[in-house]
Amino acid sequence: MEHTAGRLTSSEPGLGLRPVGAIAGFLAPALIIYFAFTAYPVVRTIWNSFFQVFPNRPDEFVGWANYATLLFEDRFFHRAVGNTLVWALISPVVEIAIALLLALALYARVPGSRFFRLAWFTPVLMSYVVVGIIWTWIFNFDWGIANGMLRAVGLDHWAQAWLGHPDTALPSLIFVTTWMWAGFNMVVLLAAMHSLPSEVLEAAELDNCGWMAKLRYIVIPLVRPTILNLMVLSFVGKMRVFDLVWITTRGGPLWSTETVSTYVYKRAFNWNTFDLGYPCAIATIWFVVVLGGVLILTGLLRSRDKLEY
Amino acid sequence: MTTSIRFDLKHGFLVVALALYTAFAAGPFLWVASMSLRTTTEISAEPYALPDTLHFSKFAIAWTDGNYGTYFGNSVIVVLSAVAVLTVIGAMAAHCFARYRFPFRRFLYFLVFSTIIFPPQITIIALFQILVEYGLFNTRTGLVLAYVAFQLPITVYILESFFARIPSDLYDAARMDGYSEWEIFWRISLPVAMPALSTTVILNTILLWNEFLYAVVLITDDDKRTLPLGIQKYMGDQLIDIGMLATGLMIAIVPVVIVYVFFSEKLIQGMTAGAIK
Repeated sequence: MEHTAGRLTSSEPGLGLRPVGAIAGFLAPALIIYFAFTAYPVVRTIWNSFFQVFPNRPDEFVGWANYATLLFEDRFFHRAVGNTLVWALISPVVEIAIALLLALALYARVPGSRFFRLAWFTPVLMSYVVVGIIWTWIFNFDWGIANGMLRAVGLDHWAQAWLGHPDTALPSLIFVTTWMWAGFNMVVLLAAMHSLPSEVLEAAELDNCGWMAKLRYIVIPLVRPTILNLMVLSFVGKMRVFDLVWITTRGGPLWSTETVSTYVYKRAFNWNTFDLGYPCAIATIWFVVVLGGVLILTGLLRSRDKLEY
Repeated sequence: MTTSIRFDLKHGFLVVALALYTAFAAGPFLWVASMSLRTTTEISAEPYALPDTLHFSKFAIAWTDGNYGTYFGNSVIVVLSAVAVLTVIGAMAAHCFARYRFPFRRFLYFLVFSTIIFPPQITIIALFQILVEYGLFNTRTGLVLAYVAFQLPITVYILESFFARIPSDLYDAARMDGYSEWEIFWRISLPVAMPALSTTVILNTILLWNEFLYAVVLITDDDKRTLPLGIQKYMGDQLIDIGMLATGLMIAIVPVVIVYVFFSEKLIQGMTAGAIK
């Protein structure tokens, strides 16, 4: 996700000028907002994590106690971390695999591809609140269409309250985010494929390269940077997933869908513990984990030798 | 479909698969659209039927009795204010990053840009405390400020890469004509960057229209709730009036659909801007 947009060279006239007043004026509003409502809250969250923070009482310094508790004692937190990691590691792979298949289908110049593209993109335009409520109904035991279809094909014994059982709730929610994001990933991949140089593909065509071989040796390696970005995006998105869980299951049943985000929210605003220091420690740890995850993902996937074309 | 297409078996299979996926992707919304026009009694009797009579009056009832009118108004106020502020200060900052050289330029840009991957939890608790301290908790102003901070990085990112590609001849000519730095921004950068500006406006509008986490933390009064919060309130009821809730969902969806119908390509461009290299 590093910035690679077209840079200006310093040889260009005008850029040597340094109208200090104008520069400060242009930057000030954005930087004030940034420091007041992003940077300062981040620092304050990290600071809080070493304190017990109760309303109407001076903060009490507790050192690493919050971290010790959440790392070694808090089973709910461990459960939340497990669930979130499962989500964040499965989703990027599944979403992008499906998206690749869909993009390839449209890349083969199927009639109506423009319509398909527009239709498949729609789920990502809806809020998680709307999506969550719709899928609560779809997964409903009595009249949800998921069970309706199973019953229609005679698989009655498979019908169940998908979001109500600890074994199926998390997979069902992962299914929902996959439904939501596959189309988005597809659109991005398709755009990347359409920007590939046609000579390469034509050359493969001439070499009598099979469809699978073309995919494996040409298309996928060439769109790898895009796949990498999508994976990072999907990973980061799932590491912070909150709305969908909050609307559908609130982390239940039996903490089977608890995510780090819902747990932070519960500890900060929902349980009557009133201590803001502990959730700040969770948020801080998770912040470090997300940054580390992004670095590892980027490193892992980018280190392979780059293709020139 | 044109007849010139050769319909062999493989093609036929592909088209069926694509149609099925389309039903899967878009079906849930068509279902809600249908439910929004049917009464709860009708839905209980037959959840998947099409509407017999179109009960458009349900929208009026939801709007007034269900309080969705208030929620809709709040969403409009909060989202439009945040987008207006974002566009102006985002464009100013992006113009500055793209067109001037100054110390710490890359560092500051990286600082702002890197927050794109931050999980919102790292700011939200402290943001809550800060807004409480300044009397902005549970106000629409506070929510707008949080939204501006939240969407600033992506806005600056999209606009900066556009401003950086404007030919510098334009700027040189303007300077020779004696334009001030502010006039250059206002009369050159902004008009030329209209396409990128509209992308960010549409993108921010949709994302903030759907935003839930900041709203649920920072707003508590019923009469200040935005649409996602208002809808969620009904979800918590023990006896959910499914027909009414479906109507409420449609009230939240329709503006998005309208924007998508008119600006689909712009919207797709904005949503995918962060992912394309």
